[in-house]
Amino acid sequence: MIEIKDVSKWYGSFQVLSHCTTHVKKGEVVVVCGPSGSGKSTLIKTVNALEPFQKGEISVDGISVGDAKTDLPKLRAKIGMVFQNFELFPHMKIRENLTIGQIKVLGRKPDEATERGLKMLDRVGLIAQKDKYPGQLSGGQQQRVAIARALSMDPIAMLFDEPTSALDPEMINEVLDVMVELAEEGMTMMCVTHEMGFARRVAHRVIFMDQGAIVEDATKDDFFGKPRSERAQLFLSKILHH
Amino acid sequence: MGDLDFGVIERSLPYLLKGLQYTVQLTLAAALGGTIFGTLLAMARLSSFKPLALAAAGYVNLMRSLPLLLVIFWFYFLVPVLAQTVMGWERPPQIGAERSAYITFIMFEAAYFCEIMRAGIQSISRGQVGAAYAVGLTYWQAMKLVILPQAFRNMLPVLLTQSIILFQDVSLVSLLNVTDFVGAAVKIAQRDSRIVEMYLFVAIVYFILCYTLSFMVKRLQQKIAIVR
Repeated sequence: MIEIKDVSKWYGSFQVLSHCTTHVKKGEVVVVCGPSGSGKSTLIKTVNALEPFQKGEISVDGISVGDAKTDLPKLRAKIGMVFQNFELFPHMKIRENLTIGQIKVLGRKPDEATERGLKMLDRVGLIAQKDKYPGQLSGGQQQRVAIARALSMDPIAMLFDEPTSALDPEMINEVLDVMVELAEEGMTMMCVTHEMGFARRVAHRVIFMDQGAIVEDATKDDFFGKPRSERAQLFLSKILHH
Repeated sequence: MGDLDFGVIERSLPYLLKGLQYTVQLTLAAALGGTIFGTLLAMARLSSFKPLALAAAGYVNLMRSLPLLLVIFWFYFLVPVLAQTVMGWERPPQIGAERSAYITFIMFEAAYFCEIMRAGIQSISRGQVGAAYAVGLTYWQAMKLVILPQAFRNMLPVLLTQSIILFQDVSLVSLLNVTDFVGAAVKIAQRDSRIVEMYLFVAIVYFILCYTLSFMVKRLQQKIAIVR
């Protein structure tokens, strides 16, 4: 589904990604972790071309992301994305947030879009909030709406960029629960997260990044059982010792 | 000063009101046109296509470095002659002072509104742009539906304040012999030798209008601040 081949990226002379190669198969859940500044957010953003890259190749569902001829808005509409800071549109009501992409990008009729959007909102347990503005919701609620917004586009895969990092601790689980449910339903997911409990529960593979490179790309059991690289061992010992 | 005759105001009121009407029309047209062209200029200045960004920046910096009065004279006196030379016409085109004023003010204000809208667009986080693109919106859709509505809202008090300044600046067109509010008053004042009465009246009207508008902008600013 998602193929990343030998991708490198520079900001000026500073290399943020170096020779990254990995893939996400259909129905697979892949967790990307690593210390801050390791390039994991940058890598996930190259998948839907929010970040350009200079070398290598990425394809999603057989379509090349880096090709100048690719219709990027059309490609992005197929991939749902959830951001660290939610990024709901603050000047629109929740229901408008859920329908704008469906109407403007997919060309659905407003009634149809509303029906689909509200169904997704109900799914994340927030149907009662449909006429509120994002600013009136808690962080956890906003993130669940953001997931519903992505899902209402009927994506073929979902990208999560540290979806719980900006949340207060008591709100993290309500978002993770939604993500676990999605994973169990067979959604193709690529998640940048530090939530190792989530990774243990639903991930098929774990990718560990450091200094712009993919250091470890292993099945979940291998990764948590016996990580090969020293840096991954160190990282795990730091975040798991509680 | 002993024999002031304020009856002159009442007698010339229809003429003065016609002048005020022109002033208001020109202000509204320049504010609207300035906002539209200013927004396009701001998008050009922020474009990643360098030649476009440079051209827009050059235009804005040029306009902002020239006195408004000079630009008004340029458009009225020199541009028709330039057009004649470039196009090889027999005579300079007759644009007329009133139409010239509309073009001048829209083009001049566009430069100032551009800088306001540029600040407004830059006040929206990169994440909002990313979210708009991630949903599948194109550049123009993202601008129209996500970025500009928020930028416009954030900058509304500044845009209105600039419009109040514009309302006062419009009086400069009286130097082209256009009958705006000030122009009308000047003509009556000279015809009837009632300079003190007319200039006092114009000052009071300007003060009341501008002060009221400023007060309303202040209220609006507080209201927006609470909602956010």
